[in-house]
Amino acid sequence: MKPLHSIFIVDDDPIHQQITEIMLERLRIADAVTKFSDAQDVLDHIRLNAADPSGLPDLILLDLNMPVMDGWEFLEVFADIRHQLAKPVRIYVLTSSIDERDRERVDRFDFVSGYLTKPLTNDIIMGLLP
Amino acid sequence: MNHPLLTQVIEALPDPVAVFDTQLRLVTVNSAFSDESARHLGFALRAGDSLRHLMDLHPNLASQSMHVWQAALSGERIAFELAYGHPPLRYQISCSPLYNDQQEVFQVMMVIRNVQAETEVRENERFYRSVLENLPVGLQEFTPDGWHRNMNGAQRAILGAEHAANNRPYNVFEDPINRRSGLTALLDEVKQQKAPVKREVLFRYTEVHEENVTRIQPMYYEVTGFPVLDLQGDIECLFIILSEITEKKLAVLSLEKSERLLHTIVENLPVGYIQFDSYGFIRRVNQTQRRFFASTGLEEQPDSNLVQDPFARLFELDQLFLQVLQRGKMVRLEKKLEFQVHTGAGKTDREIFLDLTLFPVEDPVDKDQIVVALVNDITEKKRQELESTKVQESLIQTGEIGKIGGWELDMATNALRWSGQTYKIHELPPYATMTVEKALSFYEPESRGRMEQAMAACMGRGKAYDLQVTIQTARNNTLQARVIGKPEYRNGRIVRIYGVIQDVTEQFRIRNQLTRNAELMRLFFDTIDMGYAVMDKDGKVNFINRKAQEIVDHGKVIGRNIFEVFPSLVGSTFHARVRQCIEAQAPVSFSNYLPQLDKWYEFLLAPMQDGSISIFTRNITDSKKMQRELRKANEQLSSLNKFLVNQNKQLEDFAHITSHNLRAPIANLKALMQIMNETADEQEREMYRGMFQEVIRNIDETLNDLIEIVQIRKDLNVERETLAFSDRLQKVKDILLVDMETSAIRLTADFSEAPHIEYPRIYLDSILQNLLTNAIKYRSYERTPSLHLKSRVVEGGIMLTAEDNGLGIDMERYGAKLFGFRKTFHKNKDAKGIGLFITKTQIEAMGGSIHAESQLGAGTKFIITFRPE
Repeated sequence: MKPLHSIFIVDDDPIHQQITEIMLERLRIADAVTKFSDAQDVLDHIRLNAADPSGLPDLILLDLNMPVMDGWEFLEVFADIRHQLAKPVRIYVLTSSIDERDRERVDRFDFVSGYLTKPLTNDIIMGLLP
Repeated sequence: MNHPLLTQVIEALPDPVAVFDTQLRLVTVNSAFSDESARHLGFALRAGDSLRHLMDLHPNLASQSMHVWQAALSGERIAFELAYGHPPLRYQISCSPLYNDQQEVFQVMMVIRNVQAETEVRENERFYRSVLENLPVGLQEFTPDGWHRNMNGAQRAILGAEHAANNRPYNVFEDPINRRSGLTALLDEVKQQKAPVKREVLFRYTEVHEENVTRIQPMYYEVTGFPVLDLQGDIECLFIILSEITEKKLAVLSLEKSERLLHTIVENLPVGYIQFDSYGFIRRVNQTQRRFFASTGLEEQPDSNLVQDPFARLFELDQLFLQVLQRGKMVRLEKKLEFQVHTGAGKTDREIFLDLTLFPVEDPVDKDQIVVALVNDITEKKRQELESTKVQESLIQTGEIGKIGGWELDMATNALRWSGQTYKIHELPPYATMTVEKALSFYEPESRGRMEQAMAACMGRGKAYDLQVTIQTARNNTLQARVIGKPEYRNGRIVRIYGVIQDVTEQFRIRNQLTRNAELMRLFFDTIDMGYAVMDKDGKVNFINRKAQEIVDHGKVIGRNIFEVFPSLVGSTFHARVRQCIEAQAPVSFSNYLPQLDKWYEFLLAPMQDGSISIFTRNITDSKKMQRELRKANEQLSSLNKFLVNQNKQLEDFAHITSHNLRAPIANLKALMQIMNETADEQEREMYRGMFQEVIRNIDETLNDLIEIVQIRKDLNVERETLAFSDRLQKVKDILLVDMETSAIRLTADFSEAPHIEYPRIYLDSILQNLLTNAIKYRSYERTPSLHLKSRVVEGGIMLTAEDNGLGIDMERYGAKLFGFRKTFHKNKDAKGIGLFITKTQIEAMGGSIHAESQLGAGTKFIITFRPE
């Protein structure tokens, strides 16, 4: 039994997706790691599984800068639907931006659990555990 | 017919009857006929006489009758009337033919009936009817039950053509209108009392047309109803007479209205108003008077009689009243009333002054003599008057005991006499012996010199003097005194010099102070670097400082009217503002350009207590000019600032781009490094090396893009040349030939309005290429792709638009990202998010701008404004 059931990685950079997946798997903290290149896909998935706790992730690692739907738009929509979910979903913003304005803007979404800057390290990943 | 029988029959008839045959010969007549003919014709016609006799004796009568007789003889039954006799009486003559056995007319029976009375009655009735018909009042007759019987023309006009009484049975009691107007009640009363009843009734309304306005006017009538009784004293019929009194009624109403108005005015008069009837009873009191009564604590007693009221008698108001009433003249006087007022605390003495006006008026309605009293409480005014008198008196008193002393010098004895006040001025005990020498010893040397000269001149030549001197008093105080001396002559010889001495130290001090203040003020105003002048409200200059004098640059201005000295000021802004300042009694400031001097002046006008105006003015030409220059500099600065802000923003964007787009792959490298170090598996490490290569390629690409951009930004002075849009487009089409053919895009262009542009060739090529590439890359597969390019001249540059029919962009969602670096929003693998960023950079580097308009699914229009230097 691993500490977390499911983690979603949302990032349009395939290299990043791959590296993060490898790191998470090595640390054996989640039963499942799912990769998404577009926030819209994650949103569709969450909506589809809103009532099913097993289909929902414990944790989302969310990149901000993505095509079509970016991390910001995702946060806006998620703010509205998160209360309808069958279980709490923690969100961590994971970005390469060190722009202070981005950090402040993320702070305004009070349900976001943390603001992480790339690259991830093992220590940071272990800090995500409840 | 049996002749004797006929004779008997006709004899039995009361009217004269005659029967004549076809020869007009009388066959038989009755005695009435004989009598009547004897009375009227002078002879009795009898049987056997021929009617033809009448032809000779009464041709007029015969000619009137002949054709009737003939007609009767031809079988006609005929009647006619004729007048005969003196005075003429009316007769009806009826002729009936009598037939024999052969049914032939063989005789005519003629019956003569006196119809004088009947005719008279008939004519009387016609006459009265026409009189009634033409009466100017409405007249209507009803049965006792109220059924309409008759009415005259006036009544028809009143009721109107539409009224039911005109053509239908109409019952006056059953018409609800009459119940409302009161007519029913009136007729009921008539029936009950069997006597005439008169009442004013609003009978109907009428429309009055005035130009294009229609007013509804009430019509008032005086209605008189009366019964006509039969011999038994029962009501035979009811009559009403309607007489219009609208005008009178309206006059009365308007009189009432104006009376109400008058009442209101009287009520609200600021002076007390009391109206007495001729017996002295109060009939009306207005509110001012009521307040007055209340304030005096006197009860207002409407029934109190002025003539008997002890209070009124005490102040002889009763006499005044009678005087006015009897003489019929107005009286106006001031009256002082003293009385005690009961207040909560006890009795208080009150004293009031009244300005009383009493005048008689004849009541317009009752013709009664009434008296109106106007009461103006002038206690306060009086009190102030007394106060000021008192002040004046005390002033005089003060003057009397003021610091003026008298003296006289007897020329014979050379004795000098001083009054008490003079001793006081010199601070000497009174009545100390005084000599001229001793008196002069109090004077300061300079004053003493002038004094001796003046006295000598007075004694020698009788010259009066008035000197201001400085005195050292006995107590060593220095005084300023005014000494006035006059000679007195007797018999041509000077016998005495007398005069006064006044301590004017105080005045002198004040005057000194004033002079000094004025001097200070002048000094002050001369020192300030500002024009200052005081003028009265007409424009007369009372004070002007040096600066202002310089400004006006015009000889003597003080004491003269500024608008006369400078006629051009009349009607100027200055003039208007001066008036504004006077009217508003508030400071006014403004600046004014004086074209003659080519200078700007700033003015402040301030009203002063005495009605004159202070004018402050300052030459602000330099500051105005400076302001203008400052503004210019400001504008330059602000445009520079805008430029810098823009540059800053671009730099910031660039820093952001660099940070983000370079940090991302470097973070990947770091992470890769970490996971590679954590494994010894060679196969896994091989995979990581592949990923390393991928990331590094990525970094290299990003760096190249950035370098290109940096190059564009740095190379602001890249060489411009005159380029033809069509040439450059052709070049780009050649490069993209394959893509264009694959996509089958329809490219059209219209450069006719602006065929050329001064621009760096590589930039323009790059821009056109990007626009074309975008149109191909984001084409819609639902239609033949097209792109239309158009150039035109706009203010400050050349505009190039590129309009495609492609996928379009959700501007609301992606507008902000459209021209961003590495920003993509299509799931298009070709999209790198660099083309438009470079295009934007290339345009902005040359001072231009680009923006887009788009509708999702319909196409996109890029609008570029090039700003050639």
